[in-house]
Amino acid sequence: MEQGIITAIRVVPLEHYLVLCFLLFSIGVAGVVFRRNTIIILMCLELMFNSVNLLLTAFSAYHSDPRAQVFVFFIMLVAAAEVTVGLAILVMMKRNVDSVDVNQLNRLKG
Amino acid sequence: MIVALLLLIPFITALALMFLRPTQQAKNVALISTLASLGVVLFAWSAYTGGTVIHYNMDWVPSWGLRFVMGYDGVGLLMLILTAMVFPFIIAAGYGEKLQHPSLVNALLLFTQTFLFGVFLAQNTLLFYIFYELSLIPVFFFLLYWGGEHRRAITVKFFIYTLLGGLSLLFGIIYCLGQGEGFNGDFATIGSLNIPTSVQIWLFWVLFLAFAIKLPIFPFHSWQPDTYAMAPLQGTMVLGAVMLKMGLYGIIKIVLPIVPQGVVHWQETVILLALIGAIYGGIIAFRQSDLKRLIAFSSLSHVGLLCAGLFAWNSYGVSGSLYQAFAHALLVVCMLYISGAMKERVGSSEMGAMGGLKVRTPRLAALFLLVLANAVALPLTQSFVGEWLMFAGLWQVNGGLALAAVSTIVLGAIYMLFAYQRVMLGPDKWALEMTDATTRDHFVLVPLIAITLFLGVYPGPILELVDVPVQQLLSSLSLN
Amino acid sequence: MRTDLLTILVPVLPLVGAIILASLRRKLSANVAGGLATALIASSFVASVVLFMGFEASTGGRTVHMLDWISVGGMDIPLALRIDALSLTMMLIVTGIGSLIHLYSIGYMHEDERAPTFFAQLNLFSFAMLMLVMGSNFLITFIGWEGVGLCSYLLIGFWYKTPEYNYAARKAFVMNRIGDVGMVLAMVLLFERFGTLEYASIMDMATGGMNDPLMIAATLFLFIGATGKSAQLPLFTWLPDAMAGPTPVSALIHAATMVTAGIFLIVRSSVLFESAPFTKDIILWIGTATALIAASIGLFQNDIKKVLAYSTVSQLGYMFVALGMGAYSAAMFHVTTHAFFKALLFLGAGSVIHALGGEQDIRRMGGLKGSIKITFITFFVGTIAISGLPLMSGFFSKDLIMAYGFQHSPVLFGLLLFGALLTTFYMFRLLFLVFYGTYRGKAHPHESPLTMTIPLMVLAVLSVIGGLLNLPHLFGGHEPMKHFLETAADAIRYEHLGLSATTEWTLMGITTVLVFTTIAMAYGRFAKRATLEGAEADMPFLKRLIAQRWRLDELYAALFERPYGWISAHLFTTVERHVMVPVMNGVGAAALAMGGVVRKLQTGNTSFHLLAMLCGMIVFLLITLMSN
Repeated sequence: MEQGIITAIRVVPLEHYLVLCFLLFSIGVAGVVFRRNTIIILMCLELMFNSVNLLLTAFSAYHSDPRAQVFVFFIMLVAAAEVTVGLAILVMMKRNVDSVDVNQLNRLKG
Repeated sequence: MIVALLLLIPFITALALMFLRPTQQAKNVALISTLASLGVVLFAWSAYTGGTVIHYNMDWVPSWGLRFVMGYDGVGLLMLILTAMVFPFIIAAGYGEKLQHPSLVNALLLFTQTFLFGVFLAQNTLLFYIFYELSLIPVFFFLLYWGGEHRRAITVKFFIYTLLGGLSLLFGIIYCLGQGEGFNGDFATIGSLNIPTSVQIWLFWVLFLAFAIKLPIFPFHSWQPDTYAMAPLQGTMVLGAVMLKMGLYGIIKIVLPIVPQGVVHWQETVILLALIGAIYGGIIAFRQSDLKRLIAFSSLSHVGLLCAGLFAWNSYGVSGSLYQAFAHALLVVCMLYISGAMKERVGSSEMGAMGGLKVRTPRLAALFLLVLANAVALPLTQSFVGEWLMFAGLWQVNGGLALAAVSTIVLGAIYMLFAYQRVMLGPDKWALEMTDATTRDHFVLVPLIAITLFLGVYPGPILELVDVPVQQLLSSLSLN
Repeated sequence: MRTDLLTILVPVLPLVGAIILASLRRKLSANVAGGLATALIASSFVASVVLFMGFEASTGGRTVHMLDWISVGGMDIPLALRIDALSLTMMLIVTGIGSLIHLYSIGYMHEDERAPTFFAQLNLFSFAMLMLVMGSNFLITFIGWEGVGLCSYLLIGFWYKTPEYNYAARKAFVMNRIGDVGMVLAMVLLFERFGTLEYASIMDMATGGMNDPLMIAATLFLFIGATGKSAQLPLFTWLPDAMAGPTPVSALIHAATMVTAGIFLIVRSSVLFESAPFTKDIILWIGTATALIAASIGLFQNDIKKVLAYSTVSQLGYMFVALGMGAYSAAMFHVTTHAFFKALLFLGAGSVIHALGGEQDIRRMGGLKGSIKITFITFFVGTIAISGLPLMSGFFSKDLIMAYGFQHSPVLFGLLLFGALLTTFYMFRLLFLVFYGTYRGKAHPHESPLTMTIPLMVLAVLSVIGGLLNLPHLFGGHEPMKHFLETAADAIRYEHLGLSATTEWTLMGITTVLVFTTIAMAYGRFAKRATLEGAEADMPFLKRLIAQRWRLDELYAALFERPYGWISAHLFTTVERHVMVPVMNGVGAAALAMGGVVRKLQTGNTSFHLLAMLCGMIVFLLITLMSN
């Protein structure tokens, strides 16, 4: 990795990254749990992914260990795949129940 | 090689049957497969020289120290012989049944055989448990889709009940795995377990419950009569002839070695329960009007005796019980086959619809009579050898228990002869047109009866097979 | 080696016959099947005779090992035969009388379409009976013991289309099995004690030790076995019902051979019984009671075969009395003579039945002495033999038992004498009602064919001269049978009849006079009868009770049969259905109830599930953190 980027990342203290990521992640979790719109839920999922990605990158830079960045790429890949599937489900959902409200999908109620 | 063949022959055939669905040839294919397995087992028998033959011994779950060990000793081999010998006849019995989707039926039967072989080959408690539960699955589907009246309710009951026992066994095994370093689940390392007596006393029931239900012994038997009566003929054969022997095998391989003190503590209780079951089943069988249900209760009675003999905990009792297990497997197949043959002809297994059939089917009546001789344990049939040994073994435990055990020979005579009379004797009241024993009937019954008589006159080969392992088991445990 | 082969052939020949006949039963004609069966059993007889001729009594006996049978742990029970005085005696009776009865059956069964099956079963019976008497240990005897039980079942129910016959067959088998429980327990006990079941070894080991509780138990169990097979109280009610079988079967199985198995067994194990006087007393009194009760029932029976059946039970009682007194050779002597005359009487009865086309009720017979002469003469001989007229075989054997009885106690002698007079009375009643007076039936009587009359004649001769086998000193003999049997059973050596010659002559005189008086009474009452007394209802109470066979069948039905059926039905409908099944269903119900609780969590609300998942993750996270 280019030394410049690492130095750039190291300009900001690690604690700041931690706090930011925690906030981002919490927002994502809250969005997933409390929002009913499936599109928002998917976006919040992305938010969580990205907060983790950010954290991984930060730690990678601080520890000079490039392996974490490999994970970032994997996560991005998986996230892309997940979004594809998720959006497909969303489309089907819209077609079938004419809604994007997740609480419409309660057929598993015991 | 033998182990792999035994597991693969039925498994691959079953898969092929399931996916290729050769409806016309399904029974033939299955029959050939079971005969091949029989050949392999007989080869194994001829090559067997004693001791425990281990074929595979490799890492399985290294982090838990579990090993994948497969092989057999004399007792295991006896069970393998029994399974392999009985299955061709079970498949052959299917030729008379007009079940839908014969490919699937035979595939399920072969899956069952695979897992049964697995049970008897496993040399590791957890592996045993896995095959033990796996074998339930094909039977479950078989009963669920091909059973008779009330099949859903009865099958689910049967499944839940035996599963409950299985879970208890699993718990027990895991508990034992948590005890100390020496025991890694292999049968060979059971000796290093050192469980305190107070624990053994409750652990005994945890382990024994599964087998008590599977056998079944009184009062855990109530799934059995309904299931036997409802199941398709071949299903009942599998359950009665082989699956319950897993219980017996499990007791020998798991309960007795792991909790010997517990066994000593509960010995008389278990024998008493088993004998209550033997007498209870024998008495109830007398008044049953359905031939299959009668066989269910008679099986309960026989199995009670088997279990009592096993828990007599001496060489006569255990050898007798094992010998009788073999005899019982053949007997159950014969009895059920006859009930099936009668049902084919009369259209029902209700004995009220029969009577006087000897006029129409004299050959079948003669075969029935020979089977009956084995069922009531006349000397020179296989059952007599087993029963005599068990009586001798039980006497050493307690004279009163022996008396109770011996009294079952009267009950057996009462219900069997009454059944025979109701089916075969008397005036030909219904005057139905029917064929006498066919080639297929002879193909199934004659060899089985011949084996029964041969082993009744010359029980040496089987007794030799079990004698040494039983002596070893008893001596190793008395050292503890 | 040659004798070993011969020994094995004795039981195997009839077995081979049974197998051949059973497998070819549809292809053979009645006469061929009968001929083959007779030839095989006759060969067995010849072999037995050869063995007997070549047998040196002084050697004691010989064991012929055929096969290892049950050998496991410390148990080693071979399939082996024993040749000694006792087994040879029984072999000769079984094969000799068996051959005659086979021959007779050719004539008797020639019209029955299932004759080959009949002969197969008869041959199988012979095999089993030979195993019983030739076995070298208890378990081999037990093979025969159960085998004869099975054949008896098959042959009683031979005419299987009649439900009553099937019932009788089942009854016989089940009652025998009740006895077998005793037999099995005795064997288990003896094995536990001696570690072997070989007769020879047990005889050596069982010495001294009077009143050992284990021996008393073992002998009592053996005796229970014997009461089942030999139809003694309380297990004798099957034998009269067993008359449902064809008459040759009644003659062979239910008179001459199988029912004497109990006596054989006790003589075989006499050494055990000698050390258990308590058991012997019980045998003595059960035997006496059976002899009297059965004889009393015999007085009022109207079925020709039933009279003979009760007579058999009664005579078996006499044999047990002898055993109870330790007079084993007397019992065996009576077994032998009884085999002669009772087989003769049954075959004679069969000939009568055959002559009358199946009629068995003596109220519809009478005056037959002219029309079936050979049958009459031979039947007459049988009757005087069983009644113990002087110099007949029954005279010697029964008087020997009664003399022992007198030695034991005069009261016993009185009871035995009374029984003997009852026997004389009902036998002559039978004789007079069947052959004297006027014919009361409708069928046209005709003499039986030669195959049937030859056995009658042979048996008649034997019934007359049978006494020579064990001619007492009083008549110039030297009791050859006793001395022969001594070599097989030590206990016989110690038998001693210590009565003075005067006493013996007096007893014999009394008996003979009373017997003749009884015959005269019977003659007066029955010889000239044209009709028989009326219904049972008119009889006084005691007479009716006896005529109704002491109502024992009804008693057993009320005490055992019906309650058993009731219990069987109610255990199923009540206990099984209302206790056992609900217990199992409880497991399912518990699972369902738990599911009912847990299912409330399954709201189907995705957000809720996600929240729950989150909470779960946090909990696990906390646990991990805390544990570190």
